[in-house]
Amino acid sequence: MRLELGYIHITDIRFGDASKVEDGVLYVNAEEVEALVLRDERITSVKVDMARPGESVRITPVKDVIEPRVKVEGPGGMFPGVISPVDTVGSGKTHVLKGAAVVTTGTIVGFQEGILDMSGVGADYTPFSKTNNLVLVIIPRKGLGSHEHEHAVREAGLKTAVYLGELARELTPDSTEVFETLPLTEGVKQFPDLPRVGYVQMLQSQGLLHDTYVYGVDAKRILPTLMSPTEVMDGAIISGNCVSACDKNPTYVHQNNPIVHDLFARHGKDLNFAAMIITNENVYLADKIRSSDWTSNLCAFLSLDGVIISEEGFGNPDTDLMMNCRKITDKGIKTVVITDEYAGQDGASQSLADAHESADALVTGGNANQVVTLPRMDKIIGSEEYVGIIAGGWDQNKHEDGTITVEIQAITGATSEVGFAHLSAR
Amino acid sequence: MKVLTNNPKVLEQFHSYPAVTVDYRAVSLHELMVLVRDFVHARHRLLTHPLSGSVKPNETLYKSIGLTEQPEDQLCLESLNLIEQSISTVDRFARIRKDIKEEHHQDLQLVDLTLISSAIDSLAAAKPLPGTPPSGSSRLSST
Repeated sequence: MRLELGYIHITDIRFGDASKVEDGVLYVNAEEVEALVLRDERITSVKVDMARPGESVRITPVKDVIEPRVKVEGPGGMFPGVISPVDTVGSGKTHVLKGAAVVTTGTIVGFQEGILDMSGVGADYTPFSKTNNLVLVIIPRKGLGSHEHEHAVREAGLKTAVYLGELARELTPDSTEVFETLPLTEGVKQFPDLPRVGYVQMLQSQGLLHDTYVYGVDAKRILPTLMSPTEVMDGAIISGNCVSACDKNPTYVHQNNPIVHDLFARHGKDLNFAAMIITNENVYLADKIRSSDWTSNLCAFLSLDGVIISEEGFGNPDTDLMMNCRKITDKGIKTVVITDEYAGQDGASQSLADAHESADALVTGGNANQVVTLPRMDKIIGSEEYVGIIAGGWDQNKHEDGTITVEIQAITGATSEVGFAHLSAR
Repeated sequence: MKVLTNNPKVLEQFHSYPAVTVDYRAVSLHELMVLVRDFVHARHRLLTHPLSGSVKPNETLYKSIGLTEQPEDQLCLESLNLIEQSISTVDRFARIRKDIKEEHHQDLQLVDLTLISSAIDSLAAAKPLPGTPPSGSSRLSST
């Protein structure tokens, strides 16, 4: 499967009479976006706003971040099974508005959502302070249930990203990148002397605000399976989770998964990127046993020499992480696990809620309990009302001078377990 | 499945659900975990992960944990290890006290309800019992 990504570099975002891209500037007609979002009768009103890198702006509570893309050649459309009809994506050509993002915000439950600062110390912790963001503040119909509300917000963000992505359809990319995976036997023959490395991606799959969707299927209900890594670049995996925002993968991160990109970059040099396997993190323990059995069996079946396993979340998924690591190691395959840590505000406590001796090669995305004081921002998009009660916030963390003190678990993407942020340790 | 819970929404939703026995206790999260450990000592096996969900133990009051309905022949050491580790994690988080306002109790109960519902769906899919609604029906659509 061969996919060419064509990048149109976006350096600014502005409101305009017509939505278009011109000289690297993304112009957005806010009325058209409003009309698009309000086609969903579950939504009463939407405020379309913008936030640019370096501005004194805080967006909170963040639900999802999505990169605008459009398929210009090849089967399927963006977000198959959700926005576009179900069809296998990941081949042909896709145009990307690189440097732009759609950010959704709304209050689905009265706690637990992310902070995204466009400047100041908080901006250093979130990758989305570097993108030109179109922000949707979504107000639902009164009485709408939480599940329906979450679904409406999720869909509004994806639809808006598709709308913006369409602006790139006829444009000539500023740069292109090609990714190709071969069928199994051809892949083996291509680089027979290099170690065959696979990527196991664990997906959040527990309940409301803790879910992920694969081609529109709730990941709780999948068996671990193989995917072409280029499929995720076309939106085959989307996020429906944001609780404890630091280590959840927004849709943007799935579209740009750095493990996938780095494995492609080293493919044919010092490794043979052989396969991507997705699995889940269910609450029911029998599901964990079945999924980790299945995942390790797939790794052995594919004759992998090494596997990178990325986690999503903390606590319950630590058990899946250790089960996957132990069972894959038991097949004689080397493993590296990627996680983040909840090691206490002083960093001195046990980092994970589960452990196994096979997890002897581990990369961290940082300590989510690390405390940071964020400066006052001139403008708040969304509401700061929740900062004291979101994950990582606590009572009396708002100070008289307008600063707030939080653990970095409150910051969207701060301790990404696929390495999309900047924290780690040696 | 026996569901030990301190979440009134779980009691309300599943009190008459055929495959589930709800054992509701009006206790703290820590006390609930210790009660679960007592059941594990009494040879019940854990069926769900005690640290379900991403709401951290010091940010919520509610938890629902599934165990085998009846004691088994032997003590399940894996269950014991898991509940011990989970209690240790809960206690570690408890050192950082966070104020949980009453207005958010309903939301916290709802999230816990959806987490245990996902496990009950898995149970129903794996072991359909007479009178058990089909998988997925335990999920709430409008609350």
